[in-house]
Amino acid sequence: MQISETGQTQGGCPIDHNAISLADATMADPVLRAHPNAYYEALRREDPVHFDDKLNMWLVSRYEDVVTVLRDPITFSDKLGYEAMYASGYFEEFKQILDRDGGGFFPDVIKDDPPAHTRVRRLLEKAFTAHRVATLEPAITETIVGFIEKLADRAQDGTVVDGVNDFAVPLTISVICEQLGIGQFNAEKIQRWSGAVTAQISKMQDREAMIENAKLICELQHFIIQEMKDREANPREDMISDLVHAKTDDGGTLTFAEAVSLVRAMIIAGNDTTATAIGNLLFVLATQPEVAETLRASVDDERALNRFVEELLRLEPPVRGLAKMTIEEVELGGTKLPKHAHVLVLYASGNDDETKFECPRHFDHTRRNIAQHVAFGVGVHRCVGASLARMEIKVAACEIIKRWDNIKLAIPVEELTYLPTVATRSLERLPMTLSRRA
Amino acid sequence: MKVTFVQLDGVEKTIEAVEGETLMEIARDNGVDGILGDCGGSCSCATCHVYVDEPWQATVGKPDDVEEMALEMVYDVMQENSRLCCQIQLNAETDGIRVKVAPGEY
Ligand code: HEM
Ligand code: FES
Repeated sequence: MQISETGQTQGGCPIDHNAISLADATMADPVLRAHPNAYYEALRREDPVHFDDKLNMWLVSRYEDVVTVLRDPITFSDKLGYEAMYASGYFEEFKQILDRDGGGFFPDVIKDDPPAHTRVRRLLEKAFTAHRVATLEPAITETIVGFIEKLADRAQDGTVVDGVNDFAVPLTISVICEQLGIGQFNAEKIQRWSGAVTAQISKMQDREAMIENAKLICELQHFIIQEMKDREANPREDMISDLVHAKTDDGGTLTFAEAVSLVRAMIIAGNDTTATAIGNLLFVLATQPEVAETLRASVDDERALNRFVEELLRLEPPVRGLAKMTIEEVELGGTKLPKHAHVLVLYASGNDDETKFECPRHFDHTRRNIAQHVAFGVGVHRCVGASLARMEIKVAACEIIKRWDNIKLAIPVEELTYLPTVATRSLERLPMTLSRRA
Repeated sequence: MKVTFVQLDGVEKTIEAVEGETLMEIARDNGVDGILGDCGGSCSCATCHVYVDEPWQATVGKPDDVEEMALEMVYDVMQENSRLCCQIQLNAETDGIRVKVAPGEY
């Protein structure tokens, strides 16, 4: 399949694609996943709840239907959707490897349905309230500025640097490890562990990759268990201690297995997503000079900066699609879904819906309904890390534009590649050049 | 202690509640339409937006900086008396408070 990325327009709005036919298209196609907006548009227009037979899933593409699904977590079960996605095709073997070599198989307790979900959800909500995140801002700013300065040093004299692997990824890992209280860490290892876990919901993993990833997850779990054992004996002021010693609202405690799954979730859920967002920030700054100009004009305006971040997340949402499953037959957007229909909720298409967001491919941080984007989801599973992620992206955006200039891609746009997954749309690397602001 | 929510459909719900709970929790636990409380009171989703009735405005005061920023998300329907009700706790002073649910898209 061929998709051109010329700057076409339609009624004055930019579109980055040609029209596409649904008949021969599938999300299993890496070329389509790299440049999906034409496909999303065709889905919304022609078949908003579409069965992708290669994926064996129903794609939900309209804003309204995305919200309907997310607002009904009982009919559209997160637990069942996630389980059916997890290590898909090889689940039993995957579980055996973890039981044998990884200290156990620990189901993700946060990916449960209410009311069981509510019990653990309340615990996590306390960790990243907007007020708590505000108190973290000065220290996190210092960390981020350190990464920005280091990359500027490396990029001297036109040296090509990688905005994803030399910057966005180690930066987010360092922030979350600081929060969890993991003092000594190997960022490269954490990146590989993180990739191994997210590959389980990618739908694009073959058996060989599954075995390789299962091994990495075993390592990750041993690492987590060791950190937790340490906090059991010596509690400290950090999130691992909080989770190990947490009391739930009903006065109970978490089991060890539940706590392992939550520490793992905190390491993973915030990593690839936030790193992807910061990679997207660099991509947009390098390819849309007028957006860089908007940001430069906003550095002293907290409101404008926040709106800038929201619009970035709307335009380039890191999370593309997550799975849910119907617990009974139900009608959605005019289509009858059978019981146990496996649904892929396309947050990215919801954000791109022209009936909701006028001129959706255009970056406009002044749009009226800016915060109604669904990059963090909505409803009971709405991202618990949203405040932290927003702050990290805001600080990165603000400090980058103050310190860097001439941010440019070092390879043609068409040569950029994305991770093999339906769950996110994440740049694998971002070769770029930059200079220090004079 | 009592709280009154005026829903968008005009229905008034007066709810008996206990000190220390937030208005969002009270509304959510009692099925007040339009108060969703997605973020569980973390002040990060703005799905608990209300307009505070005039006599109570001085008592509950203005939003702090963090809440101001979260309110930006609903700025198209924001008013002078807008508050995110997960940030208002019920206590002796707010006993009897009356708020209107603000319109929201989801
Ligand atoms: C820009 C960065 C981020 C994006 C785009 C993002 C997006 C999302 C989305 C779309 C969901 C799922 C909503 C659903 O099921 O419908 C989610 C859930 C979640 N996120 Fe994030 N996230 C980000 C950063 C973070 C961070 C920094 C953390 C933690 C430190 C985090 C922790 C979680 C957790 C634990 C859940 C599961 C919540 C639940 O099911 O109740 N996320 N996120
Ligand atoms: S419940 Fe999310 S801001 Fe109040």
